[in-house]
Amino acid sequence: MGSLRFRIGAFALLILVSPSMGSEPPLRERIDRHIAAGLPNYDAIAAPIANDSEFLRRVTLDLTGRIPSATEARAFLADSSADKRAKLVDALLASPEYARRMQEVFDVLLMDRRRDSKVPRAEWEKFLRSSFAANVPYDDLVRDILSSDGADPKTRPAAKFLLDRDLDPTIVTRDIGRLFLGRNLQCAQCHDHPLVDDYKQEHYYGIQAFFNRAFLYPKPDDPKAVIAEKAEGEVNFISVFDPKKVQKTTSPAVPGWKPIGDPKLEKGKEYKVAPKKDVKPVPAYSRLAQLATAITADENIAFRRTAANRFWTIMMGRGLVQPLDFDHSANPASHPALFEMLAEEFEKKNYDVKGLLREIAMSKTYQRSSEPTVAGKDLAEDRYATAILKPLSPEQLGYATMQATGLTDVYRTELAKKYSEEALHAKLASNLGPFRSLYGTRAGEPEEGFASTLDQTLFVKHGGHIRNLIAPRTGSLVERTAKLTEPSRVAEELYLTVYTRLPSDEERKDIEDALRGSANRTATLGDIVWAMLASAEFRFNH
Amino acid sequence: MNNCNYACGTADHTVNRRLFLGGAAAGLAGFAGMTTPAAARELKSAQKRMLVIFLSGGVSQLETWDPKPNTDTGGPFRAIPTSVPGIHISELLPEAAKRMHLLTLVRGINTKEDEHGRGATIMLTGRRTEPGLVYPHVGAVAAKLLTDKDAELPGHIQITPRGGGGFNKEDAAFLGPKFASVTLGDGKPPADLLRPAAITTDAEREAFRKKLNDRFAKSRRSAQTEAYTESYEQAAKVVSRADAFDASREDPKAADRYGRHDFGRHMLLARRLLEQGVTFVKVSHTNYDTHHENFDFHIEQLGEFDRPFAMLLDDLKERGLLESTLVVVMSEFGRTPRINDRYGRDHWSKAWSVAMAGCGLKAGAVVGKTNANGTAVTDREVNGGHLFHTYFRALGMDPTKNFYPAGRPVPIADPKAAAIHEILS
Repeated sequence: MGSLRFRIGAFALLILVSPSMGSEPPLRERIDRHIAAGLPNYDAIAAPIANDSEFLRRVTLDLTGRIPSATEARAFLADSSADKRAKLVDALLASPEYARRMQEVFDVLLMDRRRDSKVPRAEWEKFLRSSFAANVPYDDLVRDILSSDGADPKTRPAAKFLLDRDLDPTIVTRDIGRLFLGRNLQCAQCHDHPLVDDYKQEHYYGIQAFFNRAFLYPKPDDPKAVIAEKAEGEVNFISVFDPKKVQKTTSPAVPGWKPIGDPKLEKGKEYKVAPKKDVKPVPAYSRLAQLATAITADENIAFRRTAANRFWTIMMGRGLVQPLDFDHSANPASHPALFEMLAEEFEKKNYDVKGLLREIAMSKTYQRSSEPTVAGKDLAEDRYATAILKPLSPEQLGYATMQATGLTDVYRTELAKKYSEEALHAKLASNLGPFRSLYGTRAGEPEEGFASTLDQTLFVKHGGHIRNLIAPRTGSLVERTAKLTEPSRVAEELYLTVYTRLPSDEERKDIEDALRGSANRTATLGDIVWAMLASAEFRFNH
Repeated sequence: MNNCNYACGTADHTVNRRLFLGGAAAGLAGFAGMTTPAAARELKSAQKRMLVIFLSGGVSQLETWDPKPNTDTGGPFRAIPTSVPGIHISELLPEAAKRMHLLTLVRGINTKEDEHGRGATIMLTGRRTEPGLVYPHVGAVAAKLLTDKDAELPGHIQITPRGGGGFNKEDAAFLGPKFASVTLGDGKPPADLLRPAAITTDAEREAFRKKLNDRFAKSRRSAQTEAYTESYEQAAKVVSRADAFDASREDPKAADRYGRHDFGRHMLLARRLLEQGVTFVKVSHTNYDTHHENFDFHIEQLGEFDRPFAMLLDDLKERGLLESTLVVVMSEFGRTPRINDRYGRDHWSKAWSVAMAGCGLKAGAVVGKTNANGTAVTDREVNGGHLFHTYFRALGMDPTKNFYPAGRPVPIADPKAAAIHEILS
């Protein structure tokens, strides 16, 4: 019976797959092959595929930013269908929580937790969220961001990237390089990069030349300012290492590509609207208008490499090129052929974000356990033989804590028929604040590394916020478990809710022992929940 | 032509090329550390400390360390002799004058920045504000370079006149939040430091947490998971030392000596923290931004400043701590020699003064000079960079070494400046 079904399934698959993909296996398999080729004996050393609990928690956090509820965990564990992981991934990608998660990831990536200056946060978030919900191709999204001058209210939110940086030439050049080209050219501002042969000073100024004529109109500190442009102005630079102090110039250029020369314009015809006092000038030829197209152009390999690497990192916890903004020939990818392939595939599939994430999520590479084999214990992370332990982002940590303590479900119940992701999020948002401010990095600085600081630890240890979340209320975890009489059921409910897994026998016994000796059952359960929330198993996505 | 914002004119780039490439190849991101063996040796040297007294708003150099009596700019106050023959300071600092033999005055400061925020940046980071790069404050640098890794208390503390306490992630810049300041608003400990009454015991839940972590670590551990679990042990140590933050445990007689006012209390707390092993303490005293009634305000403010400052110097000296503690009295800038029509003085960075003491600096010395009515520096002009170099030389560190945020060499102090060697021992 089973084999018959298998044959029908395989036949159907063959029909589905063969016309569109030709002989090429799906991306997920090609990913796995490349990763396996990156280490002799990979198959023997690599961790086994993660169990259902581990996979469910991991992919839910990565794609929706929260942990699953105990109910979701029970349902997934009980589901015996063979394709339940694929169904789960599809369901997560289709959920509004996916768009919220991507909105949050890309907000931090693009805006570095800056304070609002010109585009209100809510509008920017809505723009990002609806783009990811509609699965707008990634290159379109970037073009929206780099081409909006903020004048049209409909496209103004997308201009936040440029407007809230006040068009500062140093910052905008640095961040376009970092975020869209995978190269931090800051050290090439004053001379060719002293440490990276590929990074030239002309690259830095080539990017800057796209917007060196742009300025904020009517004035920089006007919260309603828009981007205006002049018809003249060049970038000039001298290398501080050049003893002859030769002054150079460049027209706009994407690093490594031919500069885009200005068209010759008849004298007196440089402007569509000439500059005058209190008039926004409009040049006949706009350098800035070339930026979005040039950055995302097919021939600009750096764009698709960086894009693919960013999405890979969201899922895998480490870039194929690392650091993400140091893509250069002396810092090769951990798996060069995979990197090329992934970038090309992303571009070929029209920058289909959900498609890329789905293939990564369905790869064995992504689905490996985070528990290494004996032989894999000391392997470098970049061999991807064992799933990498990823610290939860401030947002993930906040949502996970609210889900684990029961607050999210309390709100869901409260909303009942009025439930929508937006309505739930509106209720959760105020509880997220402390997580963002304590665990987020400095405003205006890129996220980097991981630190566990005293204020964070004291917040968990003594802070009223965590205490209130744990405190029993109708439907909360402590309240729910306090009502259960059977200690083993208590342990199950705790472990499924907080860790998305069933407890081991040993762990069941721990809970039983703690409750048996307890004079105050609710207080003891509160302590246990606290300890679980403060543990590494909760703090990391594993 | 864009001005070059970076201190790139040195050979540092090439020197560190190999190191950088090694770091990049190993995939190290976001680290910022001393990497040479010499630096590692320095980290283990005898514990030194630093106290900054920040007179917020911009104290007048003419009413403090560089008086110009009987000139068109001098104002109404006299200059008085000090415990060092030949050196005079303003009569508003009688107690400090008696301790001049412990002090070192830098009178030729020109920081060329008359705006509060940017002036403070120069004085606290030793560099001018640059777009795209934020430098760590002196306290974060001191905490990073001087704090023993087993220290129980945070290495970087600031005491502010009022307002909430908390943690400031901004001021450590690329050194990382570990070295960011802990703020004691009005001298009170940060909110979550003390265990709230609602939590009667911590022991059971802590034991359970450890058990969970140990089990997880059996099969899954990384540098990050270890840093995370260890942060709870470190927090427990700080919590167990919470009384280090409580100046009310000091002898009431000391409180009387320092003065029963906010600044006196804050200075006593600063002494307590330094004695308890905190590397860097900054106490702010406000407000010296005297665009109106400069003279009345300075009588009042300095009247509050003078005695606790003198008491702290005495106490450090008496306890043998002055030799290992650098004390600096600074501001974001000084005040205009010209007296405006509201009897005020405005922002002025072209010729002003800083007072220092301790840590082997030449005591009873003056370096730098201004002209007769204080409108220009005439000898040994220095800026925030020179001062920054001088602090770390005095603290026994080499400020020409680099930090490596994201693999990029950044000199500890501005390479365009150097220490004021005349006042170093």
